[in-house]
Amino acid sequence: MGNLASSNRASEEAVKPKKSQIAAAEGGESDEKLLMEVGNHQSREAFNKLFERFSNKIFLHGMKITRNEQLSKDLVQEAMMTVWQKAPLYNSDRGNVQSWIFTLTRNRCFDMLRKQKRQPQCVSADDIWPAGMEDSESLVEKDRGALAVEFGHIEKFLSQLPQAQQEVVGKVYLMNLTHEEAAADLEIPLGTLKSRLRLAMGKLRQLIGTSE
Amino acid sequence: MTTMKSNLHPSTEMLEKFVSGDLSVGVNLAISAHVEMCEHCKSEIQEIESRAAEHWAESATAEAIDYEADPSNIIENIVAQPQFKELDIEESAVGSIHMLDRSVRLPKVLAKAASEGLVWKQLGAGISQADVKIDDEVHCSFLYMKPGSQTPVHKHQGTETTLVLDGSMSDELGEYHKSDFILRTNNDTHQPRTEEGCLCFSVLDSPLTFTKGLARLLNPINRLRFQRAVGRTLS
Repeated sequence: MGNLASSNRASEEAVKPKKSQIAAAEGGESDEKLLMEVGNHQSREAFNKLFERFSNKIFLHGMKITRNEQLSKDLVQEAMMTVWQKAPLYNSDRGNVQSWIFTLTRNRCFDMLRKQKRQPQCVSADDIWPAGMEDSESLVEKDRGALAVEFGHIEKFLSQLPQAQQEVVGKVYLMNLTHEEAAADLEIPLGTLKSRLRLAMGKLRQLIGTSE
Repeated sequence: MTTMKSNLHPSTEMLEKFVSGDLSVGVNLAISAHVEMCEHCKSEIQEIESRAAEHWAESATAEAIDYEADPSNIIENIVAQPQFKELDIEESAVGSIHMLDRSVRLPKVLAKAASEGLVWKQLGAGISQADVKIDDEVHCSFLYMKPGSQTPVHKHQGTETTLVLDGSMSDELGEYHKSDFILRTNNDTHQPRTEEGCLCFSVLDSPLTFTKGLARLLNPINRLRFQRAVGRTLS
């Protein structure tokens, strides 16, 4: 029994080494914890820490690409502004915070340079590198109308969803929590919750649809 | 020709440059459109992104610089802004576009690039072209080959990136279908032809040179067209 428990624990750690490493190395909260504070609770303190952690990296990226100090400073503002504004949309299922900030820095830098060079603006960085590239869109269901199915059957369908999706459906639809409450309760970013919920509802609709 | 298989996706090296933003906008468009159609490259990109992000984070911490002594004003300004609460799943205004005689659903990024309208020009021999003005450095266009048509034999001075969007075509080196990503570099001479008709997105970083027959007469014109398209003088 003890062996089993420790090997489970070991494999869990093997899957997620980075988060704990980052937190341990910097002697503070993980990037994800901070971003969740910003996204779920508009925490300025957490945003300050993220700014401290990432502004130099963003600045150096700007210097590498533009070789211009003023542009690089502008890039820090633009990128960190995007971090603040989009924090509630961050979805940890798509990659860690570092990747998220790296890609949004690249995108803001790309757009900034094109603007600077007065290139046509019809295509932006977010078109070229769409955030949802890996989402299977056929599963994304936007219609939020009621599901017409007997309650008893729902549980059967619910059990066919991945565990993570069952959890969010349970919190939001069975326990009637708000999205914010459910995200806080599950300790996941709001964007992750919304994304899982969308996927779950799409999948449920499919399951219900095909069962009739 | 199974050996051609690897050419049908962008190389890993190219995907890395795509991720780090080191390619021309035109090639970015072609790769992005390919990735939208290709699960394999989608997952490869995710891996490359997380590697690149790690590299970025590590290399930056090695250099101790303080970009701003006191960023508190900047931060105040930022946190005064409202946050985005909902993910806008933006419906592309133009999902599909009528290409001459048929309607083809374009990858989103190309639909966006074409959203200001396409003006088709006949190049002769059943081939039409519509330029997309996107960049000063490359010439991007949609190319449509009517069923049964073929281009004059040509070779490339620079690099030609072609993404097949609909139908199929073939040349001396292989056969290409929807979502195939084809790279032709210096001194590849080829003559694409199509049985069923083919719609492509093409990115050129220098003009083609036609090498056979009467088409050679087109060469000066071709260079002129390229100059006009990219808006700079070739040496």
